[in-house]
Amino acid sequence: MCVGLSAKVVRLDQDTAIVDASGARREISVGLLDELEPGDYVMVHAGVAIAKITQDDGTETDALAEALL
Amino acid sequence: MAQTERAREALTAYDGAPLRIMEVCGTHTHEIFRQGLRALLPPQVELISGPGCPVCVTPVSFLDEALLLAERGVTICTFGDLVRVPGSVSTLAKARAAGAAVRVVYSPLDAVEVARTEPGTEVVFLSVGFETTTPAACLAVKRAAELGLKNFSLLTANKTMPGAYRALKDSVDVYLYPGHVNAVTGTRLCECLVDEGISGVVAGFTGAELLTALAVTVTKGGEGKPFFANCYPRVVTREGSAAAQRLVAALMEPCAAEWRGLGEIPDSGMRLRADWAMFDARRKFDIPPLSGRGNPACRCGEVLQGRCRPSDCPVFGRGCTPEHPVGACMVSGEGACSAYYQYGGGSLGSWQ
Amino acid sequence: MAMTTQDTVTLAHGAGGRQTAELIERVFRTQFQNSHLTADDAAVLPALSGCMAMTTDGFIVSPAFFPGGNVGKLSVCGTVNDLACMGARPRYLSCAMVVEEGFPMEQLERIAAAMAQTAQEAGVEIVCGDTKVAGRGQADGVFITTTGVGELLPGVHTGGALAKPGDAVLVTGDVGRHGCAILLARDEFGIEAAVESDCAPLWGAVEALLDAVSDTHVIRDATRGGVGTVLYEIAGQSGVGIRLDAASVPVDPKVRGVCGMLGLEPLYLACEGRLVVVTPQERAEAALAALRATPYAVGAVQIGTVTDARPGAVVVQTEFGGQTLLPQPTGELLPRIC
Repeated sequence: MCVGLSAKVVRLDQDTAIVDASGARREISVGLLDELEPGDYVMVHAGVAIAKITQDDGTETDALAEALL
Repeated sequence: MAQTERAREALTAYDGAPLRIMEVCGTHTHEIFRQGLRALLPPQVELISGPGCPVCVTPVSFLDEALLLAERGVTICTFGDLVRVPGSVSTLAKARAAGAAVRVVYSPLDAVEVARTEPGTEVVFLSVGFETTTPAACLAVKRAAELGLKNFSLLTANKTMPGAYRALKDSVDVYLYPGHVNAVTGTRLCECLVDEGISGVVAGFTGAELLTALAVTVTKGGEGKPFFANCYPRVVTREGSAAAQRLVAALMEPCAAEWRGLGEIPDSGMRLRADWAMFDARRKFDIPPLSGRGNPACRCGEVLQGRCRPSDCPVFGRGCTPEHPVGACMVSGEGACSAYYQYGGGSLGSWQ
Repeated sequence: MAMTTQDTVTLAHGAGGRQTAELIERVFRTQFQNSHLTADDAAVLPALSGCMAMTTDGFIVSPAFFPGGNVGKLSVCGTVNDLACMGARPRYLSCAMVVEEGFPMEQLERIAAAMAQTAQEAGVEIVCGDTKVAGRGQADGVFITTTGVGELLPGVHTGGALAKPGDAVLVTGDVGRHGCAILLARDEFGIEAAVESDCAPLWGAVEALLDAVSDTHVIRDATRGGVGTVLYEIAGQSGVGIRLDAASVPVDPKVRGVCGMLGLEPLYLACEGRLVVVTPQERAEAALAALRATPYAVGAVQIGTVTDARPGAVVVQTEFGGQTLLPQPTGELLPRIC
């Protein structure tokens, strides 16, 4: 139901940030997150960062497979 | 990759009891098809495409309300997903061709920007979506209020998922929970649902994430005990986004909501609180109650409940195609019917 | 009075009198200079040897100028590439322009200059033309229609119905760049990315390809609808299936980023400088080497194979060993959040 895109924070302003997804940049709202720093990764949905994330899905799935399968 | 291979093996080698997995989220439906993962499922594992496409569950009457506003000269801002969805007699695309102001935006905040730069125009944002999208709509209202805008409002059809999980629990053995909803809400509720006998796995959206989540689903599901697992921890935490939850609670309140196909589910909708009435298009424009008319042959409702497959519907692929959709499940790119149609539907298993 | 760079096109420029003559002289004839372009009612051309190919296309693009080109360059590339895909060496073009009243003269000159430059590069002459001026609001900037005539290379036989099971499917570079550049240039979604249109004349690439592999079965340029649409057309016309290897389809990371934000599929974004080529599998390496030696096809790669399974369908081989149908695009591409 919700297309999300992981993107890197390149510049922060009060409630907004410029994020970069492999060279595509856009201003988004970061009003829902605290303690962001440039270089952090966020999950973006409809122009709003909904979560601070770690970028690497490979490490995650490896760890899950290790623990649960 | 080695672990992905392990997940793949766990999934393909599953030889336990029949399992009905409902991928609640339409983006999951789409990605599972796109990644070709259905072809990896053993025959006794059935994937049901659930009601997690906000476009698909939005009732016909909502489009009729939007079209009525467009007719009155209001500028409609909408996600692209809604542009081709049929109302009772027309679509936003047709209204736009006839001269109505319909603008596709990427974010509700962009609609606020339209209102700010065009102060002489009334701008209404079509606010559909689940817990993931609702905070963005609330941020838009908050921003419009900060800017002192009087020409911006929401036409709300926002919905929440828990009611649907309970309403559909008898059609499903394990839910594949929508990862981005859980990013906002956290996982507490899903953990509590285990006590009601409802099982589920929070899944991410990349091929590796979906494959892993499906493998965990069959492995745990095959054990037969209710369970919960979070397979998307890089994005989803137990608490979710406290800021988003606070914001939504401050601006909106639960209300009964009509789900296309499922009927009315109590407390499954969200509307603006009375304090924010000036941003509520229904109150602002005094929209009369409308009862939309869908095509009676369309079985979108049963598809959404997992009671029939898209290909069981009499209009599927015959009068109802992505070019000329009859039901909402065909019009949305993530709708179950659209996904079945575009990705070759039920015949997939036979041509691996 | 002499024209200055501040001038705009007026209805008088389309009225057929002195100002029309001045516009044609100043903007077009000086740019398109060649011996066949005269002041007479029609161009008189020497007979071509062998068979002739002819095609026509209308070009409207908003905005008229975009990173990597403008509507003028596009109007020459589009027609030249259509001829090239038939194995026809482009020789002559006509050009009919509809210009909106108030359009800046300086921009019109840049458009004409781009046409002239692209025509020269493609080895084609613009031998006749027409200019009309539409009242303000009756056209959007500049509409250009070009018609092209080309000379079929002897012994070449290509066509959309000639793909055979076992053939290799090639693409001459990364996909979706033109559509993405236009989408960004419209600035409707607030996204910025350094993406340039792939708009380019492709006769050089086709000539090199046919020189190396004269039994090339299909050459198509991917325009509106992108590479995905072309693959479905070839599968349908030839009555074959196409198996696409998802991982081998070249996409610029920035294009992928933009598509990720808007929920779009790069295979369905327009290209204006990409060919889809079908050759016998054993000739694929030779075809790729020939293509890569030309300036607009350095990124040529094999992306799939023609099969006899599922005629008319394009099947995608995914990263996880699954297979799925490539969904066909429907109508206007709309960004989606769900």
